[in-house]
Amino acid sequence: MNTLDTIPEKLGVTDAWVEKGRVHWLPCDGLKVRDLAKTMAALHARFITITATELPEGEEIRMEYHWDLDGQLLGFPFLVSNKQIESIYDLCEAANWIEREIHEYYAVDFIGREYELLFLRQGDKPGVNLREEDE
Amino acid sequence: MSYTIPMGPYHPGLEEPYKLDLVCEDETVIDAKLHVGFNFRGIEHLAETRNHVQVIALMERVCGICSNIHTLSLCQSMEGILEIAPPPRALYIRVIMAELERLHSHVLWAGVAGKLMGFKTMFMRCFALREKVMDVLEAISGNRVNYSMNRIGGVNRDIADPSAVLAMIEALEKEMVHTIIPVFTTSTTALSRCAGIGVLTQEQAISYGVVGPTARASGVPQDIRRAAPYAAYADLEFDVPVETGGDVRARLLVRALEIMQSCRILHQALAKLPSGPIHAEGSDESDIAFPTGTATSRVEAPRGEVMYSVSWEEDSDNPSRVHVRTPTYANMPAIRAMVIGAQLAETPLIQASIDPCYSCTDR
Repeated sequence: MNTLDTIPEKLGVTDAWVEKGRVHWLPCDGLKVRDLAKTMAALHARFITITATELPEGEEIRMEYHWDLDGQLLGFPFLVSNKQIESIYDLCEAANWIEREIHEYYAVDFIGREYELLFLRQGDKPGVNLREEDE
Repeated sequence: MSYTIPMGPYHPGLEEPYKLDLVCEDETVIDAKLHVGFNFRGIEHLAETRNHVQVIALMERVCGICSNIHTLSLCQSMEGILEIAPPPRALYIRVIMAELERLHSHVLWAGVAGKLMGFKTMFMRCFALREKVMDVLEAISGNRVNYSMNRIGGVNRDIADPSAVLAMIEALEKEMVHTIIPVFTTSTTALSRCAGIGVLTQEQAISYGVVGPTARASGVPQDIRRAAPYAAYADLEFDVPVETGGDVRARLLVRALEIMQSCRILHQALAKLPSGPIHAEGSDESDIAFPTGTATSRVEAPRGEVMYSVSWEEDSDNPSRVHVRTPTYANMPAIRAMVIGAQLAETPLIQASIDPCYSCTDR
């Protein structure tokens, strides 16, 4: 069993990896993002980024967390319905700037962290949502 | 007693606007805060208002140095959604453009580093060399900065005369081997400014998630060309230079050695350039109809891994999301670790040693 195959069990996820477009995706229903970050750190996986996407016709935001494990690109999608998700910054230093950017771009609150003002130098307050302003 | 020295957003030691607040005791830096976003352009948001042709032109302008890499990664993502595979000749031309871009970027960086070391002769020498690389890029693409080479399904222009490119590579190799690398690795001026300065340990490199030459100079042997090959890299032989010193000198050495490896890749790619079309059938502008989907692509830019994530809704002219993670975005926070303990006068060279691209960061 290779490292990739052990990850769902470590995370307590019953779903299997789905490989699509050179990304290994693991559905994350019920999974806590901090548990994911701890597992990735234990495996020495390299954090890449979080891709946030505002879903149409609703308040939900899809957050895709990406790590690299020995050249394999891993993707973990989370649906955020109330614009709040736990921060992983204290577990994963590399997530600092992207959490700040998503906070300012999409007004997502990463619970458990403080923000320095302002990352994007746009607007005059934190939580600026450029998309909604433009619309 | 400590005091804070602001460096930037406009400062002679910085090429572009960002700001370092350096907390010092005497001349020693004890902490630093980084501030970016002064020229934030909202390009990701703008991309959602562009169609599949316009978005390529837009994303090419994320960066003025690695512009080709951005369109390559974007096109690979869009090809992933459309399930289009570029023909072999196009894949080789993509490698040739990517390595020429790496050459011009690394030589430019060597020039900037020379200038910051107070070694202006080397600055002039490197920039003269870079001109030759840009001449070749212009000869191939018609452009010196934004090459417009990548399109969905392949490339826009062929390389009619590979031997002309080879002649430039040989001249560049000669200059690197006989002048640039020996001077940077043996001269007292370069060594005294670089050795043991701005150290990023392997542990810190992993913690910050740094990429590219910055990671490889700290003993992290990651290179997307090797770890997850794209275009034609799987067919080509090359080494991934890795140094363990983690200092400015190690970053300089890694880039110098990478120049030699880029020349090696170019020799092979030009010699093996397959015949055939330069773009896939069914990939013309009028043939493109996106299904609903998301695709992600990674490439090894001169500064490290670039990742694009592109989403599209069926029947839409425009992407619903284009997310770009540029290498400087990953590398720049590590400057804090590099400057702590350094002398104030060393900080311009230390921050430059990651080859920062503020344009990429403020995409």
